[in-house]
Amino acid sequence: MSHLIKIGLITDNYHLEKKSSQFLDYCKNKVEVSIYLEEEYFIDFSHYEFNENIFFVKAKGDLIISLVKLIERETNIPVINSSKSISLAFNRFLNSVYLKKAGICIPSFTLNPIGTSPPYKEYIMKNIIDQKNYAFKPQIKEKEGFFEVSDMRAIDESSGIKPKYSHVYFQDFVRSKWEFKIYIIGEDIFYYKQVPVLINPNKMESRIEIENVPELTEIAFKAAEAIGLQICSMDFLKLENGAFYLSDINSSPNFNYIKNGPKYVVDYLIKQAKG
Amino acid sequence: MKIGILSKRTGGFTWKIKDYYENIGHQVKIFTADNLCINDSLLENDFYILKSKRMLYLYAGYFLEANMVPVIPNTSLSHTHKDRIESYYAIKNTGLAYPQVYMGYLKILKKLLKNSYFPLISKPIFGSGSNDIRILNSTKDINKDFEEPLYLEKYIDGVHYLAYFIGDNSCICEKKPLSNEHSQMIKIEFDEEIEEYLRKWKNKYNLSFGHLDLVRENKTNQLYVVDAGTFPEFSNWKQKINPISSVCNLIMKKYSEIKK
Repeated sequence: MSHLIKIGLITDNYHLEKKSSQFLDYCKNKVEVSIYLEEEYFIDFSHYEFNENIFFVKAKGDLIISLVKLIERETNIPVINSSKSISLAFNRFLNSVYLKKAGICIPSFTLNPIGTSPPYKEYIMKNIIDQKNYAFKPQIKEKEGFFEVSDMRAIDESSGIKPKYSHVYFQDFVRSKWEFKIYIIGEDIFYYKQVPVLINPNKMESRIEIENVPELTEIAFKAAEAIGLQICSMDFLKLENGAFYLSDINSSPNFNYIKNGPKYVVDYLIKQAKG
Repeated sequence: MKIGILSKRTGGFTWKIKDYYENIGHQVKIFTADNLCINDSLLENDFYILKSKRMLYLYAGYFLEANMVPVIPNTSLSHTHKDRIESYYAIKNTGLAYPQVYMGYLKILKKLLKNSYFPLISKPIFGSGSNDIRILNSTKDINKDFEEPLYLEKYIDGVHYLAYFIGDNSCICEKKPLSNEHSQMIKIEFDEEIEEYLRKWKNKYNLSFGHLDLVRENKTNQLYVVDAGTFPEFSNWKQKINPISSVCNLIMKKYSEIKK
């Protein structure tokens, strides 16, 4: 009889193929893994059976969120991250509201009808819901002292025959020499910095690991707690006065970028499963 | 007082609320998708009425509540009514019956759904009322190239009801299956079981007003809740009490309770 901890990996085709192989390799002989694949899973809310010790969610689609809700409501099996925290993390507007309420410094933001300019001289226009697997595709305009950055997704999703939104999310543009990338895996935290993606879209080219920044540590854990995330990544910008502004938060980070990242994740899941 | 109304339209019940409050000396502004900017400019009002539960207005509600501005009905409760899965659990946790629910992508549904599952109703996962609802009689009806997963409910063959409640008053109407709130309905004088469902629902979530859509299955006589709403138009309210003044007074009462 197997005494291995059983991890349920809830994911989609994209994350399974592109992001999970190192995680699965590390799991071999240490834990048992069952895979719940979004595209192939049928949810029957009245009939279900789960025998996992813990679930790990590596995707953020609607079916994934619904499956996580079922597990949370019908069983006592821990799920990392929770449905609420994933939903908050991919909704730029709602996570801005929650983070600001928690006292985290974030760039000023507004949700405006399409065609209504925000009250900022320099801004980034983004889509509200960042749920699909798609990279930031900026369109930059500089005119008469105004600096505007628009994510092409926001433009696509708010135009056409059946627009997804009537409104778009505007964020006050914060100039920063570096973008600080922080990964949190339970109580472990990892620090990197890179040239902002607007200057160099190839983020990994300039990324370097940096020493612990105590101020960032405090803000990052506070932000993760405010959203309810146990495993996540965050982007910070640093103002000239030294203040850090949280500009993005992600519930499904690519922890392959961290040295021994999959090990940290699996070890954390085992620890949580054992209670 | 300065009151904001978050509503997808300016007419109907929204207009009547505005008119009622203005007549007793309050200032009222309606915010629709055309004029709603969600930022600190909203904080000038004393409280907001969340008439519509579309995501845009829920965003405004969350923003306002985070800034200590009361929103009535409460935003997260309205959100629960909007999200089918949350709504399913809200009804289940009240001990009320709900049809069986399934979810999946087109390909897997075509493969796994046997004839015994049908008829089914497909509904948007974020939605309410009868918008974008379709009856599916077999897998042949799932023939579109759906990109998103489908949310499906077992279709209950039976008598359909709309049951409103305002405070301790209720109004129960029989309606055509899947018809919207504004269609013609016949008032039912009394139905003890539906009254009990309403009582449980409003007590569980401390609701001042709202509605439930119900179906009593022909074969088993089982009563199912198939939808719930926090702020109907009350277009088929057929009781003596005035729904506008009653709802407006209950909102003011709720506001006083929040401010205490």
